[in-house]
Amino acid sequence: MSRLLEPVALGPRTARNAVVFGPHETNLARGRSVSDRHVAYYRRRAAGGVGTIVIEEASVHPSDWPTERSPLAAESAEGWAAVAVAAQAEGALVLAGLGHAGGQGSSAYSQAPLWAPSRIPEVNSREVPKAMEEEDIEAVIAGFAAAAALAAGAGLDGVEVNAGQHSLLRQFASGLTNQRTDDWGQDRGLLLRRVLVAARAALGPDGILGVRLSCDELAPWAGLVPETGGALAAEVAPLVDALTVVRGSIFSVSATRPGTQVEAGFNRELTGLVHEAVAGTAAVVAQGSIVDPALAEELLGGGICELVEMTRALVADPDLVAKAAAGTPERIRPCIRCNQGCQVRDNRNPIIGCVGEPATGWEGGPDGEPAGDSPPPAGIGPLLVVGGGPAGLECARVAALGGLRVTLVEEAGRCGGAVRAAAAALGREALAGLVDWHEAECRRLGVEIILGTGAGPAEVGAHAGPVVLATGSRPGEAGYLIGPGATPATPAQALTGELPEGPVVVWDPIGGPIGVSVAETLRAAGREVTLVTQDLVVGQELARSGDLAPANGRLQSAGVVLRRRSLLRGVDRGSVRVEDRFTGEVTVLEAAVLVDAGHRLPETALWEATGSRLARAGDGLAPRGLAEAVREGRRTALALLGGSSS
Amino acid sequence: MTTSGRYPLLFSPLRIGPVTVANRIVFSAHLTNYAEEGLPTAQHAAYYAARAAGGAGLIITEEHSVHPTDWPYEKLIHGFHREVIPGYRRITEAVHAQGTPIFAQINHNGGQASGMYSRLPVWAPSPVADPLFREVPKAVDEAEIAEIVASYALVAGHCREGGFDGIELQCSHSSIVRGFLSPVTNRRTDRYGGSLENRARILLEIVGAVRAAVGSGLALGVRLCGDELIEGGTTIGEAVAVARLVAEQGLTDYINTSIGVATASLFMIEASMHVPPGYAMFIPSAIRDAVELPVVGVGRFKDPLQAERALEAGHCDLVGVVRGQIADADFAAKARAGEVEDIRLCLSCNQECVGRMGLNRWLGCIENPRTGREAAPVPVRRGPPKDVTVVGAGPGGLQAAIAAAESGHRVTVYEREDRAGGQVRLAATVANRAELGDLVRNQLAACRRLGVEIRLGVELDGGAVLAGRPGAVVVATGSVPESPYWVPAEADPEGPAVCDVRQVLEGTAVPGGRVLVVDELGFHQATSVAELLADRGCQVEIATPGMVVGQDLGITLDLENWNIRAAAKAITQSTDLVASGAGAGMVTLLHHPTGRTETREVDWIVLAVPPAPAEALYLELRRLAPDLDVHRVGDCLAPRRAHSAVIEGDRVGRLL
Repeated sequence: MSRLLEPVALGPRTARNAVVFGPHETNLARGRSVSDRHVAYYRRRAAGGVGTIVIEEASVHPSDWPTERSPLAAESAEGWAAVAVAAQAEGALVLAGLGHAGGQGSSAYSQAPLWAPSRIPEVNSREVPKAMEEEDIEAVIAGFAAAAALAAGAGLDGVEVNAGQHSLLRQFASGLTNQRTDDWGQDRGLLLRRVLVAARAALGPDGILGVRLSCDELAPWAGLVPETGGALAAEVAPLVDALTVVRGSIFSVSATRPGTQVEAGFNRELTGLVHEAVAGTAAVVAQGSIVDPALAEELLGGGICELVEMTRALVADPDLVAKAAAGTPERIRPCIRCNQGCQVRDNRNPIIGCVGEPATGWEGGPDGEPAGDSPPPAGIGPLLVVGGGPAGLECARVAALGGLRVTLVEEAGRCGGAVRAAAAALGREALAGLVDWHEAECRRLGVEIILGTGAGPAEVGAHAGPVVLATGSRPGEAGYLIGPGATPATPAQALTGELPEGPVVVWDPIGGPIGVSVAETLRAAGREVTLVTQDLVVGQELARSGDLAPANGRLQSAGVVLRRRSLLRGVDRGSVRVEDRFTGEVTVLEAAVLVDAGHRLPETALWEATGSRLARAGDGLAPRGLAEAVREGRRTALALLGGSSS
Repeated sequence: MTTSGRYPLLFSPLRIGPVTVANRIVFSAHLTNYAEEGLPTAQHAAYYAARAAGGAGLIITEEHSVHPTDWPYEKLIHGFHREVIPGYRRITEAVHAQGTPIFAQINHNGGQASGMYSRLPVWAPSPVADPLFREVPKAVDEAEIAEIVASYALVAGHCREGGFDGIELQCSHSSIVRGFLSPVTNRRTDRYGGSLENRARILLEIVGAVRAAVGSGLALGVRLCGDELIEGGTTIGEAVAVARLVAEQGLTDYINTSIGVATASLFMIEASMHVPPGYAMFIPSAIRDAVELPVVGVGRFKDPLQAERALEAGHCDLVGVVRGQIADADFAAKARAGEVEDIRLCLSCNQECVGRMGLNRWLGCIENPRTGREAAPVPVRRGPPKDVTVVGAGPGGLQAAIAAAESGHRVTVYEREDRAGGQVRLAATVANRAELGDLVRNQLAACRRLGVEIRLGVELDGGAVLAGRPGAVVVATGSVPESPYWVPAEADPEGPAVCDVRQVLEGTAVPGGRVLVVDELGFHQATSVAELLADRGCQVEIATPGMVVGQDLGITLDLENWNIRAAAKAITQSTDLVASGAGAGMVTLLHHPTGRTETREVDWIVLAVPPAPAEALYLELRRLAPDLDVHRVGDCLAPRRAHSAVIEGDRVGRLL
């Protein structure tokens, strides 16, 4: 019997199932207010069947303004009420996320000092915070109480207080950041308890009070470790209805939402330990890359938690619960844990999105997929899609959903295109999950998939009906000299094991996941690998997904030689020439082969041969990422269908 | 001396097509991030109006995008939506109320963008990825080129309706037109690529379309890049040739100039104090020799005399002064009135203007707390004026004194040292950082003007402060160096000797031999002292726990030139290292990504680490006089950078 889909008690109220959409940054706010865009975003998840929603964290006090669009509780009551009405009507419980980022915030927007228990700078901003005075601490407690009262007044079902990875309350609870000698330092859990008691008083007995607690700061020299974290959890559990177990802290914020290199369900052991320590005084919510209902079910069945947070899975597919309940879990669009669209804690304020679901963050907009029961549109012949990468697959899938008859031809023996190659890299296997799902959905919808056969101008010309080209990319022009007998290899060739024996130089002028993962994979296979980039930091474009520091750690621990600040000048048989950007010094590196992970060019031969007028999507238009390919695949299909129904 | 005698050329009028400017000082186009949801705001209007009121001869707004495929940064004005017109009118009416003409800059950033905001492919002449955005664009076809040209005309029409006096086409820093002009980004083989005439075709088409859209009543200018400073890019010869083509077409009224490309060589567009003023003058000079049109020159003009000299030498007809007017909106009026000493000189520090742009934040200024806040009312004093005691004459204390005096209070500043300026004065002693000291010069000038009494060489304790019976006290006592835990309390006789950056700058420590600078601050402290010691012949290494030495120099555009100088001075840069011990002539470093330990044999360790707040006086006053109106600002609250001290000083000084 599924526990995932059974109702579960959450303090004074009951969630319709055990699935929680946890708090996360979205950049959907207008100013610092929970907005109409939030309403659409959360309503969509509620409509898809989720049991409990925790709205994006709101700051409880004006001294906290960590990102430009982080909501402020005092400005969010109206938005909260609108989310409550929308999501409760669909049957979900809705809690407000409440917090204060303390020394992990930013002074850029408030133009005021950061507040923290002690003057310990955060490692990335390096900004020294103000050690809070007594009145500052009381103001924060009052802020939590006022925000909880506002939430209750707005009709929400309760609040979740953040003492997790980015929080003042964890900073007080931890020896890493609390070096005070007063009562707040002698008893490091005091502030958290005071806040929870104040929030409970403001909520009343009918409201749900949750806490999000980092129970392992991954910094054992002074931080919370599972034993002390468990003890702290036991201390606060009687004050709350639910306790979400997380890990990570100032030295390990990347642990908040790790990518594919960290195993799914990584908090399992910690959660079990905390569950035991809490001993039933509060419902325990498991968290940590739980993106698969089967794993969620396993954790619930294992008795280590009462609820499971499946945030990213619901970012990727709002209908996860509905599809599971319908007995069709295979139809759930998988989260591949790439963090490329949903990780939006970034100065540029990107709107939350998902590489696989272009409508995420834009609910109600024009990119929604058609309902599956659409009648075939009149007057449109069968669709031919050339290319079975993500763009072609998404185009075929959506066209078929819209009722079109679709044939997809793919030159290779398998679908997946560039994603298939990228997923061959160490630690990136999960990427293939999306294109595997696409292919399965296409087959379910009756798309005729022809593998191992390309389409030429003759076949395209003979096709009676619309044609979409998703033909992918080809290698770019080399910005360096290629000597006789030297042939740069592509990342795909490197990952599929086609390289000659010997040391490898990887040239990565982009700094994204490809160059880094090629280097990691080749090194793991026992090669000597040098990664060359013009940048001061390897993999600099990984910052947004959160993998920048972890990737640099992995590369260096594995013994990949990093040659930064260097330009690739030439490749010859057996060697590569690089030039230091600042000294001009040229070095010759021994290399059996150069792998060029640089920019690529669109594969346009078929498009040009057919009159340069057919619709194109993805890399065949301009070589970019997975998100762009899927979005353009969907848009070309929607354009054929004459609009969309979102 | 009369005004016209001092700067006769700078304050002479000039005709630019149908527009006459009263003087040659241009507040030329620059990003502000003041837009909201694609629309210009009341802050834009107040910001430009303040510079118009301050005497600028001509204002050119930040760029307005002409097409939905162009959205490289969040707070871009979407000129292609008619909804911008009321916001345009608000701007032009506010500026015209001061009698000042204002032009709109319109642009398509082309390949210097990503699809992050637009959710569309990026358009460019060829599929060449920009080095910053790193997204391969879609090569536009002829129909799309025609669409771009038409979109320029459409937006120019919006600008005309919005009341602008002229249009400037940005073809320089970040533009699809620059993309077409430059052989690096234009690889086309059709009539828009290849020869210079072909590469310039789109520009001339746009000029033609825009002129047709706006008629003869508006001025039209073209801003060209004189040197892209990239391998294979446009250099001055081709820039002059393009200017000639534009002039021969006969539809353009002036040429504006620039140097560098916004995404590849931005550090030379908005050069910091490390680059000599007037460094880009060769560009307008060469263009002015070749065409009959008025030419605007730019490049770190911060002094009216310098601008006058450029006009006198015939390098240009107008001078772009952007940061100078960000720092002091009244730059032109003060120059005209001969009150040159009162001009709040720009430091070219780039910390809060340029530095905030790259981070998607609103434009501000390290020394002008009003910049970015022009649309908000200035707080007014409530209650009678007080006797205000300020303790500490660093940037926080001096700014508090200025704000309090401007609010009508009687202010006395006490400083322990025999000179004002605190750490800023010290930082400015390093070669190439001297202009930072203008912050102190500017604050002292304001204090003099406002009658603030400054008493140097006086150290006050709580009792002494209270004995003066002040109505309010502002504590701005700064910070003191603090040794990290791993530095032994007693120096090992075998070394290494340990000191703080401040001691080196003060001259109280004189490191020699092999020096390791431990940098936990990531800004100028470590790099400045490293250069100073390398210049003195030391063998210098900087170690940082970060991934880059001088990480935040990237924000101020100092990182590129720092790396060039560091290479020239043989300074070693080591990253990912956490210092963990010193003694027996060695320092121990933990390489945190791998957990491996490294050692160095060194003679000296210089610490660039967070100091401790000097909060004793504040705490004493709170204890001695709980009811006293006492505040603290700057480092004694939390040790940070000068800007924090200045804004806190201003905020506290105004609310006393």
